[in-house]
Amino acid sequence: MKSRTVALVLMLPALLLLAAVFVYPLLRYGWLSLHASSVLTGLVPVPNGGANWGRLLDDARFWTDAGQTLRFALCSVALELVGGLALALLLHRPLRGRGPLRALTLLPWALPTTVMALGWRWILNDPHGPLNAAIRSLGGSSYGFLSTPATTWFFVVLADVWKTMPFVALLLLAGLQTIPLDLEEALRLEGASRLQILRRLTLPLLVPYISLAVLFRLAQALGVFDLIQVLTGGGPAGSTESLALYAYLNAMRFLDFGYASTVMLATFLLLLVSLGGGWLLLRRHGLARTTERAA
Amino acid sequence: MSTSSAAGLELRQLCRKVGDRRLLDGLDLQVAPGECVALLGPSGCGKSTTLRLVAGLDPASGGQVLLDGVDLTGRSPGERQVAMVFQSYALYPHLSVEGNLDLGLKVRGLPPRERQQRIDATLELLQLGELRQRRPAQLSGGQRQRVALARALLRHPRIVLLDEPMSNLDAQLREDLRPELRRLLCGREQPVIYVTHDQQEAVGMADRIALLEAGRLQQVGSPRELYTNPANRFVASFLGRPAINLLAVEPGRQLGLRPEHIHLGGDGTVAARLLRREWWGHQQLLWLQTHWGAVRVLTGPEAPPPPEPRLSWQRQHELWFDPDSGARLPP
Repeated sequence: MKSRTVALVLMLPALLLLAAVFVYPLLRYGWLSLHASSVLTGLVPVPNGGANWGRLLDDARFWTDAGQTLRFALCSVALELVGGLALALLLHRPLRGRGPLRALTLLPWALPTTVMALGWRWILNDPHGPLNAAIRSLGGSSYGFLSTPATTWFFVVLADVWKTMPFVALLLLAGLQTIPLDLEEALRLEGASRLQILRRLTLPLLVPYISLAVLFRLAQALGVFDLIQVLTGGGPAGSTESLALYAYLNAMRFLDFGYASTVMLATFLLLLVSLGGGWLLLRRHGLARTTERAA
Repeated sequence: MSTSSAAGLELRQLCRKVGDRRLLDGLDLQVAPGECVALLGPSGCGKSTTLRLVAGLDPASGGQVLLDGVDLTGRSPGERQVAMVFQSYALYPHLSVEGNLDLGLKVRGLPPRERQQRIDATLELLQLGELRQRRPAQLSGGQRQRVALARALLRHPRIVLLDEPMSNLDAQLREDLRPELRRLLCGREQPVIYVTHDQQEAVGMADRIALLEAGRLQQVGSPRELYTNPANRFVASFLGRPAINLLAVEPGRQLGLRPEHIHLGGDGTVAARLLRREWWGHQQLLWLQTHWGAVRVLTGPEAPPPPEPRLSWQRQHELWFDPDSGARLPP
């Protein structure tokens, strides 16, 4: 047998598994999105000639949620990147107790999102949460942080950044450790400042790791569900509802499986387009050129 | 704080301690302008430590670094105008050859036109013009080394430091590059310090050799001085291959005899038996058993060893050492 054939045969089990958990559900969504399947049809799929897709185009809530999801993803990934980079640079320096400190920073990331979101919900509780207690002890009065869209949105992003920044930091720290120390020393001998070293040397060499972190995080953030479900339930007034949550509501609350599949598939396509666009953008800005780095 | 001193680089009682470990213990060394001094010694002897102290990459625990009488000790690496060639070459992997040369000048804020002029001149000097667009990963070992050298020379440094600059190259290339390196580096106005663990390289490159062991300077002088008049047993046995014979001839005194200084013949004083011959082409090395133990002797390549060899040597070639301290003793 040719080595290509061997390779294909060896990969077959993995491909089959992937098909079972990934391709089949997608095809099923595609099929279901062309049917009406809700309480009205007695949960029996009835072909409705693409009416679901027509409904989607006119569904203001879908497009609002798409905007909100995108805004959430871009904001939190940007903040995580800046914060994660700062954290990675800090943890990369020779500090006393660096090992335990590194482990400690990872803690928020290791926490299950549901637990973490419940924690934040309690912190922000009006009037019993610790944050309001602190405000009152300083002479202020309690505030309903989760009852106005602006503050709620702020805290959703904050909670997400708090949780996933360590992941980004860890990835970038791994990248920092691949940069030989003498490169920095060579530049120090040229009289470069810390900022110049960061800009001219460290950041360019980190590009592959930054790209990886951004793509990972963007994919996760665009599909955000558990954090929002637990912390805000999409509220107040749907102002923090994400696409994944909307799809979930369609299926599980409105029991409209046909339309839920349509929303799901549309979300998937949007995600694919955003990630593909992001990847192309990153590749044009240096990802490709740094991959040729060798010994 | 410094009394007037000679031009060039001067290290005074330079120390480096990390925790309890003394990496460098009171080094005194002078390097005249245009002179190339090789720091030689086994791994961990403090030679790279010295280089890093001169460059300012590590802080000194004591002592001073002076250049033309000016104390550099407290200054940052960037202020010292030191160029260093790293063992790894430390080329910036994301930049082309040209970019590697340019980055330092850019950081220093030189105007673009001057940067370009200097880069062009240096690339021409090192015959790197055709490689200017290549990245380090696309260069051979020898080419990378030249780029590193170009980057060091480009900035008109006042001190040049080289940290094992050829240890990543194969033996042939190392020999070929030596004259070029000498041409480019030595005999200019800057003092040059060349760190190596290879004595051939030290002899080939340097005007003087400073031999270090365990953070202490053992001896400094021309290669000939160190070879013929070693300060102690370490110097005597570190320099010269095959190594010097150390023979427990008398109680309290150890005799050092270089293999090429021992003659074989019927009229010698010490009886010996041939153990083994190594034929090296231009010479042969004989291993002989004597009542002092095994002795190495170098002879001409063709001379067959006599059936009953007897060893002799001239008094002037005897080197005597204290067997415990290794200190040199009078004859």
